[in-house]
Amino acid sequence: MKMQHILTYFISITFIVLFSTSVQAQNDSIVNVADSLKIKQKYGLRISGDIGKIARSFLDDDYTGFEIAADFRLKKDFYIAGEIGFEEKQTTNEYLDVTTNGSYLKAGIDLNMYDNWLDMDNMIYAGFRVGASSFTHDRNSFTVYNTDQFWAPQFASAEATEFSGLTAFWGEFILGMKVELFNNLYMGLNVQLKVLASETEPDNFENLYIPGYGRTYDSTSIGTSYGYTLGYRLPLYKKNK
Amino acid sequence: MKHLKLIIIPVVATIFAITISCERDDICPESSPTTPSLIIDLLDFENSENLKNAPRLLVIGTIEGNKVALPGYEGNSQQSSLILPLKTDEDSTSFELVQNAEFDSENNLIGGNIDLINITYTREEIYVSRACGYKTIFKDVIIDIVDDSSNWLLGEPEDLTNNEPVENENATHFNLFH
Repeated sequence: MKMQHILTYFISITFIVLFSTSVQAQNDSIVNVADSLKIKQKYGLRISGDIGKIARSFLDDDYTGFEIAADFRLKKDFYIAGEIGFEEKQTTNEYLDVTTNGSYLKAGIDLNMYDNWLDMDNMIYAGFRVGASSFTHDRNSFTVYNTDQFWAPQFASAEATEFSGLTAFWGEFILGMKVELFNNLYMGLNVQLKVLASETEPDNFENLYIPGYGRTYDSTSIGTSYGYTLGYRLPLYKKNK
Repeated sequence: MKHLKLIIIPVVATIFAITISCERDDICPESSPTTPSLIIDLLDFENSENLKNAPRLLVIGTIEGNKVALPGYEGNSQQSSLILPLKTDEDSTSFELVQNAEFDSENNLIGGNIDLINITYTREEIYVSRACGYKTIFKDVIIDIVDDSSNWLLGEPEDLTNNEPVENENATHFNLFH
């Protein structure tokens, strides 16, 4: 062979061998790094208090209430959750003055839709609840409505009447997020869309407000609410992600 | 699936916003039946099928000792039917019905035939709605024409309620004859 061809051939072979060897080396190092990293997620019971309701109790004269929520992680993105609370609300307008008080219980599931990086433990979740409430209305006073005001004032009731033993059931769809602020301390925010399933009707009156559900509407059985929570997780065990 | 999650949040937020903003049930609409007034037709005593106008009809109610004319029946027009509001805080209401009312320059009543009627009943409060509250319905309504020497209202009032309570203004409740 000619000397020029031999040189070209030799240099090409050298380059090919060099490059293939270096590529091989890079592949090996990547595989090693992935194998050694294991991420653990915390599992345990998280207890939260609804501080939005506490704030409202101080700011709103007509309202006192509190809610405690708990959730327990079953799988990486699947939680069972429940809330228990009590509320007292005074509803007044020109013709009616009612105080409603009672307690409620909600139970359901939360599904985390957020993909946490590394060992972060935040949630953006959608959930479902079934709610039940037991409550009492105190109708403090009412005034008769008359479009003809010739004989004013109209009749106004003097004594308070109590409607007790009332119950209501509803289903709820929740959208929210929970963020880990410090070690095991979580802050949550959620909005709730509720559909009233059944309620006991008081005699010659109606349920203007249901604790846990909110105010009722004449035209629809849909209600809404929101929550602002602060909670702490009691870590029971850790599992691989 | 990823797109479904992105759509859920704005959809739920929209439903949430619509529900809390449309509060139509805080206003008591005119069409809602509330406390009814008593509807009385004035019929011809001699021909009791026909409505008969009472000329210059004045209706007076006594409020805290003062005689006040009922709006719509102030003695300057003829009327053949009456819509009388009843008291919701007492079980009886009285009106003075004046025919051919005449007034002096200071709007004092100086002429006309005055008849006194007493309406007695029992009341019941019925719940209407959140915005309207309660209405009163009137049961066992009885109209009594007080006898004086020259009544222009003749005969006995005719009760059209059929023992039902007065709870709406859809039909005439009583007939009076003159």
